[in-house]
Amino acid sequence: MNYKQFKRIKVLIASFISAMVAIAVVFNNIILALAGVLIGLLFLFLVRRKTKAVLVDERIQNIGGRASRLTYVILTITVAFLSLVFILSGRRMGEANYETLGIILSYITLFSLALYSLSYKYFSKKYGETDDE
Amino acid sequence: MRNMTQEELAEEVGVTRQTIIAIEKNKYVPSLELAFRITRVFNETIENVFQYQK
Repeated sequence: MNYKQFKRIKVLIASFISAMVAIAVVFNNIILALAGVLIGLLFLFLVRRKTKAVLVDERIQNIGGRASRLTYVILTITVAFLSLVFILSGRRMGEANYETLGIILSYITLFSLALYSLSYKYFSKKYGETDDE
Repeated sequence: MRNMTQEELAEEVGVTRQTIIAIEKNKYVPSLELAFRITRVFNETIENVFQYQK
């Protein structure tokens, strides 16, 4: 299977998933939606394995890395800012729920920063950085 | 140099055709490994295929 055929099948699978989710929404059936998504993903996985063409190379990985980093920065800053807004407005208005939400969001921000630091350290060690540098 | 399509070169060096197009248009700088793989296809030295621009 070449790249063009793979792309065509990918569009078909995406259409199938969309149709299944739409039908599930109409009939208010979450199991149908989950089944549609799972079957679609399984097909996609099988088709990827059958494809001989190169689907991911260094440029695509590079783009993915940059996009992930940008997403991480924007998301973390947004969540941190929102947590501050919720905590301050909750204290000013005396709304404990807002303050709790703000605290939860700030913990999510801290967790995200910790995860980033850990994965950075892991990849930094994997790609050659030593402690004596 | 050998006469070949972008698709053939991409297949031979194990990347997508879009990557070859991006390299040709100077939009993507390949890794040293990919650069060597490309030069091997053409039986050339790396300096004959790629030029370093400051």
